[in-house]
Amino acid sequence: MKRLFILFLMLCPLWLSAQDDPKLTVSAKQQVVVGERFQVKFTANAEGKNFTAPSFTNFTVVGGPFTSTSSSVQMINGTVTSSTSVSYSYTLQAYQEGTFHIGSASLIVNGSKITSEPFDIKVLPDNGASAGASGGYTNGNAGQGQQSNNTNDPQVSGQDLFIRAIPSKKTVYLGEQLVLTYKIYTKVPVSSISIEKTPSYAGFWTKDITDNNGGVLRQSTEYINGEEYTSAEIQKIIIVPQRTGHFTIDPMTLECVAQIRSSSGRQQVFDPFGFFDDPFFNSNITNVKKELKSSSFGIEVNALPESGKPASFAGAVGNYDFKTDIDKTELSSDEAFTYTLTVTGTGNIELLQMPEPVFPTGFEVYDPKITTSINTSASGMSGTKKAEYLVIPRRAGKFDISAVEFSYFDPSAAAYRTITSDSYEIQVEQGSNSGGDGAYSSGQNDIQYLDKDIRHIMGGDPKLTSKNSFFFGTVPYIVALLVLLALFFILLLVLKKHEQLSKDTVANRNRKADKVAHGRLKRAYQHLKAKDQDRFYEEMSQALWGYIADKLGIERSKLSMDTVSEAMQSKNVPDELTQQFVDTLNSCEFARFAPGDAEEKMDDLYRRGIEVISKAEKVL
Amino acid sequence: MKERKTTMKRYTLLICMLLLLGSSFAQQEYDAWFTQANEAYSAGNYDTAVILYEKVVAADVESVSLYYNLGNAYFKKQEVPMSIYYYEKALKLDPSNEDVKHNLAFANQFIKDKSDPLPQSFIVRGWRNVRSMFSPDQWAWCSVVVFALLLAALFLFLRSRRIGLRKLGFFLGIAFLVVFVFSIIFAVQQKQSAMTQDQAIIMSPEVTVVSSPDKNSVALFLLHEGTKVTVLESSEGWRKIKIANGSVGWLPESSMRAF
Repeated sequence: MKRLFILFLMLCPLWLSAQDDPKLTVSAKQQVVVGERFQVKFTANAEGKNFTAPSFTNFTVVGGPFTSTSSSVQMINGTVTSSTSVSYSYTLQAYQEGTFHIGSASLIVNGSKITSEPFDIKVLPDNGASAGASGGYTNGNAGQGQQSNNTNDPQVSGQDLFIRAIPSKKTVYLGEQLVLTYKIYTKVPVSSISIEKTPSYAGFWTKDITDNNGGVLRQSTEYINGEEYTSAEIQKIIIVPQRTGHFTIDPMTLECVAQIRSSSGRQQVFDPFGFFDDPFFNSNITNVKKELKSSSFGIEVNALPESGKPASFAGAVGNYDFKTDIDKTELSSDEAFTYTLTVTGTGNIELLQMPEPVFPTGFEVYDPKITTSINTSASGMSGTKKAEYLVIPRRAGKFDISAVEFSYFDPSAAAYRTITSDSYEIQVEQGSNSGGDGAYSSGQNDIQYLDKDIRHIMGGDPKLTSKNSFFFGTVPYIVALLVLLALFFILLLVLKKHEQLSKDTVANRNRKADKVAHGRLKRAYQHLKAKDQDRFYEEMSQALWGYIADKLGIERSKLSMDTVSEAMQSKNVPDELTQQFVDTLNSCEFARFAPGDAEEKMDDLYRRGIEVISKAEKVL
Repeated sequence: MKERKTTMKRYTLLICMLLLLGSSFAQQEYDAWFTQANEAYSAGNYDTAVILYEKVVAADVESVSLYYNLGNAYFKKQEVPMSIYYYEKALKLDPSNEDVKHNLAFANQFIKDKSDPLPQSFIVRGWRNVRSMFSPDQWAWCSVVVFALLLAALFLFLRSRRIGLRKLGFFLGIAFLVVFVFSIIFAVQQKQSAMTQDQAIIMSPEVTVVSSPDKNSVALFLLHEGTKVTVLESSEGWRKIKIANGSVGWLPESSMRAF
C-alpha cells in the first residue's frame, strides 16, 4: 500500500506536466542484411504501462526489451515545460531474406491505449548487393560527434572484411601435426578485433603459436581475385589429431569494429584552408560493429598403417633424428654417468614417448630428466626432446649398454622408420665405497633371483620307444636272467670237470703210482718164474719208468735219465737214493738190450727194483 | 621240396629285413620331427612346436624328452593343464628326472586348486621315494645286474677255498638277493602303474565333483583345470577320483585326461 502511494507521488508531477498528446513512435532500420543485428526502438513521450511489443517473427530477439526513461524540465521566461520520454528497445537479428512486416506496439497511457505505426523491414542477402545500402538505423554507440544522423549509414560488406581458416592440410595421419591459421582480410580500417568464440577442437591436441608481436597485428598485403586486401593473422594453432575419423572444425567467430568514412559530411566540402582537415573536426567516420565467422571445414584423420609397424613405435609422427650419448665409459663403481637420449626433428615432439634404455642388472638408475625445447614456425613444431638418465653402476666389470631403438612414422613417405642408436661398452673399476659386490670384498650376498621360468627343452636324441614297451617281464628280460643263470652253472660245471681232470692227471697218478708199480712188479715176477727174460725186463722197465714218471709228474715223452735225476733232486730226494734208482734203471735197460741168461741177475734186479720203489715211496 | 623250403626261408628273411628297415625309417622321421619341433620351440614358435611334438606322440612312440618338451611348449602357450599332463607323463617314464620335476613344480604354481596332500607314513614315503629313483626299465636292468652280482657272490661262496672269502660271498649273496627281490617288486609296481592309467589331470576349467556317477547326485566340491587326481574306479563315462587331500567323488570322464 505504501509502495503504491510512493509510486503515485512520483508519477503525480508527470501527469501534471503531460501536455502533449501521448504518442508511440518507432525507429528502426528499413533495410538490414542477413545476420546483421539491429535495434528496434519504441519511444513514448509519456509514461505508460502495459507495453506490448509486436511479435518479431522471422527475426531473432537477441536482447531486450531495454527500458530507458528520460525527462527534462525547461524553464523559459517563467514558463515551465517538461518533457518525458520512455523508450523500449529490442536488439534483433535477421536470419532470413525477404520483406517482413512488424506489427504495432501498444502502451496504455492515462488509461487510453496508444499504438505505434506498423512497418516493414527489408532483409537483404549477405553479399555485396547491400554494400553501401543505408537504412534508418541510428547507431547508438557511434553517437558521439556523428554528424550524419539517420541518413546514409555506411555498411560493411562481406567482401570487404572477412576471416578465413587456413589449415595446412586436410588429410592427416593420426599424430601428424597440422597448422591452422585464422586470417582476417579487410579493405577497410578495423579498429578493434575480439575473438568471440573459438572452435573446441575435440579430438585434437592443440598448441596456440600465435605470434603476439606485442599486441599489434602484423599486417601484410595480399591480392585475392585481383583485389588488394590488408591481411593479418589473428590466430595460429598447431593441432595434432588424437583420434582417427572425420572431424569438423567449427567456425571461429570474431567481432570487430570497422571504421567507415561516411560519404556525406564536410569531407566533400572544399576546404581551401585545410583547417578542417584536422581529424578532430573531420570526424565523419562511422564505427560499424561486424561479426565475422570463418567457414567450418572437415579434417580427415587416417589411422597409421598396421603393416610394418615396428615394436619400438610409440606414437612419434614426423621426421626425426635420434641419438644417444654417454658422458664416460670408464669409471668407478660408485661414480655416476649420464646417458642421454636425444630426439630431434619436426612433428608431434611434445607428445612423443622417449624410448627406454635397458641397463645391466644391478645398476642404480634414477628417473630420467626430460627436457623439451620446441620451436614453432609456420611449418609446425620442431625441436629437441632429451631424456637424461643418471646411472651408478654399483658393480665392477665390463658391461654393455645395448642399443636403443627409436621408431617414428614419416607421414610424407607414409612409412615407418627406425633409428638404432650406438651401443656402448663401459669399463667399471671397483670403487672404494661399494659394498659387498666386488671380487675382493669379504662379504657375500645371496644370489639375486630376477625371475623364474621353466627350464629349457631337452635336445639330442629323443630315444623314442614305442608306447608301453617295457623291458621287465619281456622275453629278452627272462632270457637275460636265464643266460646269467646258465652261465653260472656252466662255469660251475666246467670248473668241476677241470678239477676232476687235473685230479686224474696229477694227484691220481701220484696216488696210484705205487699200486701200478706193484702190479707191474707182480707181472714181472711171473715172467721171472717163467724165465721169460724179454717180458720180464720190459715189465720191470715199465714199472720203474712208470712209477717215477707218475710220482714226479713227468710226461712220458720227456722221460730220460737226466730228467728223472733232475726231478728227483728238485724234490729233495737223497742223492744216494737217486743214484740207486738211476743205477737200477740203467742196469734194467742194459739187461733188456744185452740179455744174458743169468737167473741171478734177474732176481737181483727184481729185488733192487722193489727196494728202490719202496724207498722212493717213503720219500716222495 | 627242399628247394622250395629254402626259397621260402629266403623270402621270410627278406620280409623281416624290410620290416626292420621300414621301422628304422619311421624312427628317423620321428626324430626329424622332434628336431624340427625343438628348433621351432627355440625360435619361439610354440604353436608349430606343439603341432610337431603332437605328431610324434600320435605315432605311438614316447620318451621322456618328447613329453617334457611338449609340456614346455604347452606351458609357453599358456596351456598349463596340458603342460602338467605331459610333465606327469614324462615323470612316469623317468620319475627321478630333475628338469621334469622342476618344471612340473613350476607349472603347478599356476593352477587354481591347492590341496595339501595327506601326510603319509614314513615307510610309505620311503618306499615311494626309493621306487621313484628309477624308471621301470631301469629297475628291470637293475634286477639283471643284481642277479649277476648275486650269482657272482654265490660262486665266491661255493668255490672259494679261503674261509674269509666264503663268508664275504655268503653275506653279499644275501644282500644281493634282497636287492634283487626288491628291484623286481619295484619294476612290477612301476610297470603296472605305467600300464594302467590310474591318474588324471583335470582339463575342464571348472568341474563339480559329485557323490555318485549320476549328474543329479549331490555336488561335493569344485575342481579346476590342472589338478591331478587319482582314478580309483570307472563306470560308463564316469570316473571315481581321489584328490591329494583324500577327498573322493565322481567326475565325468570327459573332464579329465588320464595317464
